[in-house]
Amino acid sequence: MRIVVCVKEVLDPDAVNNYALAGRLQIGDDGKSLTQTAIPRLMNGFDEQALEAALRIRDAGADCNITVVSAGPTPADILKHAAALGADEVVSIEADPAALDAHVIANLLAGYIRTSGGADLVLCGRQASDDDQGVVPALVGEVLDLPIVTIARSVESADAGWRVTRVTPDGDEVVAVKGGAVVTISNELGDPRYPTAASKIKARRVKPTVVAVSELGLSAADSEPRVAFTRQFVPTIQGNCEFISGDSPAELADRLIARLREDSVIQ
Amino acid sequence: MSSNEVVVVTWGLGGEAFAGEVDDILTLGRAAAADAGGALNWLTLGPVSDRIAQTAGKYGVANIDHIEDAKLADFSADAIVAALAQYCEQRSPRVILLAQGFDVRLIAPRLAAKAGAGVVMNAAAIEVAGDGKLSVTASAYGGDTRAVYEIAAVHACVISVLANAVLPEVADAPTTPAVRDIAVDLAAVDERIQVLEKPKAEGPRLDAAEIIVSGGRGLGDAANYKLIEELAVALGGLPGASRPIVDDGWVDSSHQVGLTGTITRPGLYLAAGISGASQHMAGCSAAKTIVAINTDPDASIFRYARFGIVGDCLEILPELIRAAKA
Repeated sequence: MRIVVCVKEVLDPDAVNNYALAGRLQIGDDGKSLTQTAIPRLMNGFDEQALEAALRIRDAGADCNITVVSAGPTPADILKHAAALGADEVVSIEADPAALDAHVIANLLAGYIRTSGGADLVLCGRQASDDDQGVVPALVGEVLDLPIVTIARSVESADAGWRVTRVTPDGDEVVAVKGGAVVTISNELGDPRYPTAASKIKARRVKPTVVAVSELGLSAADSEPRVAFTRQFVPTIQGNCEFISGDSPAELADRLIARLREDSVIQ
Repeated sequence: MSSNEVVVVTWGLGGEAFAGEVDDILTLGRAAAADAGGALNWLTLGPVSDRIAQTAGKYGVANIDHIEDAKLADFSADAIVAALAQYCEQRSPRVILLAQGFDVRLIAPRLAAKAGAGVVMNAAAIEVAGDGKLSVTASAYGGDTRAVYEIAAVHACVISVLANAVLPEVADAPTTPAVRDIAVDLAAVDERIQVLEKPKAEGPRLDAAEIIVSGGRGLGDAANYKLIEELAVALGGLPGASRPIVDDGWVDSSHQVGLTGTITRPGLYLAAGISGASQHMAGCSAAKTIVAINTDPDASIFRYARFGIVGDCLEILPELIRAAKA
């Protein structure tokens, strides 16, 4: 069977967060890019977990070929990381980032999957930690006419299809789909594995297969973005915090509770 | 080519269980419709209750469109997407608004694909320019930034709106909406996802809680989470958690508050040992009163909090439990 994992390269969200918390996150002259060159680029965390989900299916005994694919500027580092983790093939779809939106990216990924022999399972992270949009997986599912199961903590091969446990606001839900599916993975899956030193060294020599957009048979409409990302800004949060004063934890606690009762926030 | 219509879409609204977010998106929808020079319609999948009719009039809806079908009786993503796509084909709305939530995260992009429309999630604001260009401001980087997206007049757009993005505002002049029965053909729909085990809802939901006491890394150790639970009980609320301690296994993911957890809007949100990173605040910044306890006086959480205590939560929490019970 074939599992295709779609991955995206993003700015390290923890680093972005630290800059934001320090009040030092800045937008560049183009009005939309974050300018801190010191922020490392890495594989989107949820996509790492999607690859982990694929590796667990293989560990459970499924005879599968795992392909990891990324669309956009060629992110060789994250694809080598995928190879080190155990991907059988890593693929980069060369596309001009200025001409992409979720709709086009989904067409590129679906076009690649279709022209390379299809997939029994397409795994994606639930959202990218940069734009947080989380729409590409569902768009890929629609283009490929596959059912889409979102926010999964586990995926297992079962009954000529897949058995997926989803994390819903009401607790875990277990669903089944027959045949192929697109499944998005959430952080509840748990920690992804680390590559071994040996596999990392071996992966240094891996060259991703590069696929040109022209090989995918997309129509003009498929390649036309509908949503243009034009601007980004850092919102300012004004503080208005009243700090409770006191000489001991007991005093601080008493004063806070009294204050909250005064304002009818608690009983 | 789309009309100038703006349609707010809801489903699963039964009698008393009215989604709070409806007022928000009706308000946003009315403003967008006015800019676009088109009508504000409300499409509901299900019967039109008196409550829906009254709310629609208050918020200036022109037409209540409703679709009823046996395949829509229980939640079925395939049936909902098919019904909404047929509606879009019939009426060509320019803007399709949904209140962001667990199911909408799936339905919104699927509908956009079927309807040939653009899609933007995490939306906080919408503007329609004179030439019909749509500008949507959405949260990005977990809330650290806002991204602005533009959609040309030639494209319709599905927009998923964050809870509490706008304060509800009734229309200056209430309307008497016409009710239109929309016909769809769902004969070809065969739901492909089979539910084997339904979620076992354990007790009251975090997103409906009036009081939440939440803990983070500052608790130091998984064993200390019981202080959060005890204070929650003492205040008559529910316990919550930040993502890092859920990922570390200190507490079940059902307690996770944040961008990828539960979005809450309680009257009181007490955050102990939580730094206040945007991803977490996305889940609780709508609280009426936020109280923060943190050892770091510069912690980001204090920018959002109404009351703050700079101190060790392990010393403060036991005292709060005592004082709350007094």
